Amino acid sequence: MPQQVGNGSAAWRRLLRPGTGGDTSGASWLVLLLFLGPALLVFGAMTAYPMVRTICDSFFTIDDPDKPIWVGLANYVTLAGDGTFRRAVVNTLIWSVAAPVLDVGVGLLLALCLYAKVPFTRFLRVAWFTPVLLSYVVVAIVWLWLYNYDWGIVNVLFRAIGLGGLASAWLGNPHLALGSLIFIDVWKWAGFNMVVCLAAIHSLPSEVLEAAELDNCGWGGKLRFVIVPMLRPTLLNLYILAFVAKMKVFDLVWIMTQGGPLWSTETVSTYVYKRAFAWNTFDLGYPAAIASVWFGVVIVTVLLLNRLLRSRERVEF
Amino acid sequence: MATVQLDAVSKSYGSGPLAVDNVNLSIADGEFMVLLGPSGCGKSTTLRMIAGIESISAGKLSINGRVVNNVPARDRDIAMVFQSYALYPHMTVADNLAFGLRRRAVPKPEIARRVREVADLLGLTPYLARKPSALSGGQRQRVALGRAMVREPQVFLFDEPLSNLDAALRVNTRNELIRQHHRLGSTMIYVTHDQVEAMTMGSRICVMNAGRVVQTGSPLEVYWNPADTFVARFLGAPPMNLLQLPVGTGERLLASNDSATVPLTLWRPATLAPYAGQSLIVGVRAEDVRLGPPPDATPSGWFRGRIDAIEPLGAETLVLVSAGAAEVTARLGRDVPARVGETVTLSFDAAAVHLFDPATTTAITREL
Amino acid sequence: MLSRAFSRGGLMAILVAYTAFAGFPFLWVGTMSLRTTTEIAYNHYGWPSPAHWAKFRTAWIDSAFNTYFANSAAVVIGSVAVITLVGSAAAHCLARYRFPGNRLIYFILFSSIILPPQIVLIAVYQTLVEYNLYDTLWGLGLVYVSLQLPLTIYLLEGFFARIPQDLFDAAKVDGYGDFEIFFRLVLPVGMPAIATTVILNFILLWNEFLFAVVLIADDDLRTLPVGIQRFMGDHFQDIGMIATGVMISVLPVVVVYAFFSEKLIQGMTAGAVK
Repeated sequence: MPQQVGNGSAAWRRLLRPGTGGDTSGASWLVLLLFLGPALLVFGAMTAYPMVRTICDSFFTIDDPDKPIWVGLANYVTLAGDGTFRRAVVNTLIWSVAAPVLDVGVGLLLALCLYAKVPFTRFLRVAWFTPVLLSYVVVAIVWLWLYNYDWGIVNVLFRAIGLGGLASAWLGNPHLALGSLIFIDVWKWAGFNMVVCLAAIHSLPSEVLEAAELDNCGWGGKLRFVIVPMLRPTLLNLYILAFVAKMKVFDLVWIMTQGGPLWSTETVSTYVYKRAFAWNTFDLGYPAAIASVWFGVVIVTVLLLNRLLRSRERVEF
Repeated sequence: MATVQLDAVSKSYGSGPLAVDNVNLSIADGEFMVLLGPSGCGKSTTLRMIAGIESISAGKLSINGRVVNNVPARDRDIAMVFQSYALYPHMTVADNLAFGLRRRAVPKPEIARRVREVADLLGLTPYLARKPSALSGGQRQRVALGRAMVREPQVFLFDEPLSNLDAALRVNTRNELIRQHHRLGSTMIYVTHDQVEAMTMGSRICVMNAGRVVQTGSPLEVYWNPADTFVARFLGAPPMNLLQLPVGTGERLLASNDSATVPLTLWRPATLAPYAGQSLIVGVRAEDVRLGPPPDATPSGWFRGRIDAIEPLGAETLVLVSAGAAEVTARLGRDVPARVGETVTLSFDAAAVHLFDPATTTAITREL
Repeated sequence: MLSRAFSRGGLMAILVAYTAFAGFPFLWVGTMSLRTTTEIAYNHYGWPSPAHWAKFRTAWIDSAFNTYFANSAAVVIGSVAVITLVGSAAAHCLARYRFPGNRLIYFILFSSIILPPQIVLIAVYQTLVEYNLYDTLWGLGLVYVSLQLPLTIYLLEGFFARIPQDLFDAAKVDGYGDFEIFFRLVLPVGMPAIATTVILNFILLWNEFLFAVVLIADDDLRTLPVGIQRFMGDHFQDIGMIATGVMISVLPVVVVYAFFSEKLIQGMTAGAVK
């Protein structure tokens, strides 16, 4: 497991340590190179180098790949005034902050349902996990049909139970589109969180739950005072995982709404894609600037979240 | 009044053998009853059935005369100290102690008073604001005990509470528990596999094996009059020497072979008649065995064989001798004038002999 | 007792409702894949009668799904193979050997998991174009390897580090060299974890969309996710055929899931439980 890296030079010195491996006789550099080399090569060439290059790109206007034009911070200045970008950031942040709460919350509730020893637990666990496996393309296509105004099941059901007034153009209405997409995301990921929460609940020491039983705790009491508090590390972990994933979301939005209607579902990733590959003027510098800013935002928010949510004592048992 | 009564209580998990088989036990008010036995003998399961966290498959469990088979654990007025302490890791010590009372809507001033008192008694006052992860094993143990005491229950249950402590701490905590028992006078049921704990703490011991109760009685009773070979060897360190010897005929009843002669003077000839020509299991405790030939005056038996090992323990010495096919251990004093490899004679009083039926392994009661 | 029965009944109702919620969309597409578009237009929620199995053949051959499928298979299988070899070698090295910077390298690899793909996307596009790997399955495969390597190394390092050092000491005493130890000890012993990452990588890369849509332009080289999306764009009224195409693309995943559901679930959720 990675060392917990905090502030201070002691932590950085820890990184330079040789590692936890058992081979103390010291391996030859050749061996290390052959084992680690290919991975580092691929990582360096396809991850580290492009990352640096994108950041460098952001200081240029690149309409002709052979002749990038230096513009300094001009792209960033434009970005500061770019209304679409602002909208995209807001949408993405709404998604990243709200959806994980629903994801993890629903996942926890489902896990509690399965923990209550219902029949067919194994089947349900497998069935509820299925949406996680479907590609976003499949999910997008299916839900496009489900959200269809005339014959999609959502509206059909509303009309069938007499709430026809609630039938809406889920993806066509700028006020509903983002929420509709978030709903699909929760549909896809609740099963994942359910599985993790279930495993975590099963790993709780049974004697503590028995002690709670003797302390006059029924189901509700155990849940509130023992299970959920002891699950906090896992729940926070899931939240951060979901947060990071939502900050990257592209597939679903692109296929279903392409950022519309009226930028109500525009996310940073769709905006970058559009500016880089689907804009009337070809320029890679500007989207590179967007990507660089976003990269900074993601790193900062993840570190902040980490610090904020994990600052209390670990629950050790 | 807090009596606990088990009538033919059994526990089965599916189609396998019974985990607890037909246990009958009567625990009086204020008694310290120890359930003793090896791992897997069903003692913990029995305890958990009394607590209510394990369901009872058959039989009747009564507390104070009230049948509680179907009464949920939280309504039995029972508190339990778990082997792993089972403290709530996310709550402070104070909250751990107060939790059960809060859940029972005990008024706040009363809760505060009880927590304060118990913390005082157990020396936990400086730790009230800490979380369990910041405590040592012994301190956690005391919090677990405190959590039970604060409830002022009718019955205390202990599930091997000392097994996770180191030796010195175990002795201290053991004395602490005995002290609390004297102070509170409550009924306590204590599960352990450690016979030293059983002997020092219990007012009565119930020895269990393979789900069944083998013998119940005061510690010394069970020690001096074991009901079968299992109890004979389970209590006492080193375990009782057991040898299978053929019964002789003749005037002085003896069980003997080339390396051992055991006088059976404590039994009537009529009792032993069925075993004529067959063999019996003879038992002699290591502390009753002396080095040297038997004195003429008192009726004695003897073993003869080669010393295999000598284990000096400081205050005493254990000598292992192979007498024929059997190995006999003698517990002797500090200085033993013998060496490994020597052939020696060990002797013992006729009054120290135990007899067991070879087929059923049960003891043949002394009569004379 | 009544309240218990009521809450029990309520619980069952929730279970049934959620199962329908989670499972309905997929099953619905399944039924639609066996019906013609006309039948669907008539009644969107009917049962296929008759079941037009021939549609699969049509989609496979006439609508080029066989090409898309083959492309996906080639890229994904190739990438997963490379990732597994390279990743397990790196994970073994990080888990077993002490050298300065071991933890630093591990930390860098681990942190790159949170990188938003956009930061890498633009420059990767430029790089592939420069090296003539743009619009080739080789280029895409290379990118795929780099995408999944950090996660794979993270998962495998955790598992490999837990292999008891005694096994390695015994092997060394028996005269095994470093590479022999890797191939004959680590790979067999680590097979459960490796299998898990293989399945995980397979699923994630089979479904990958962003890089596939950016880095491949030629229709003949498209992978399934992009192929379906384009198909839908071109024929979005032909619901029946789209549904069949969707089922074709989902098939490998369903097969893997049917046989390895437990492994798959464990693999995808590994590292999330704290």
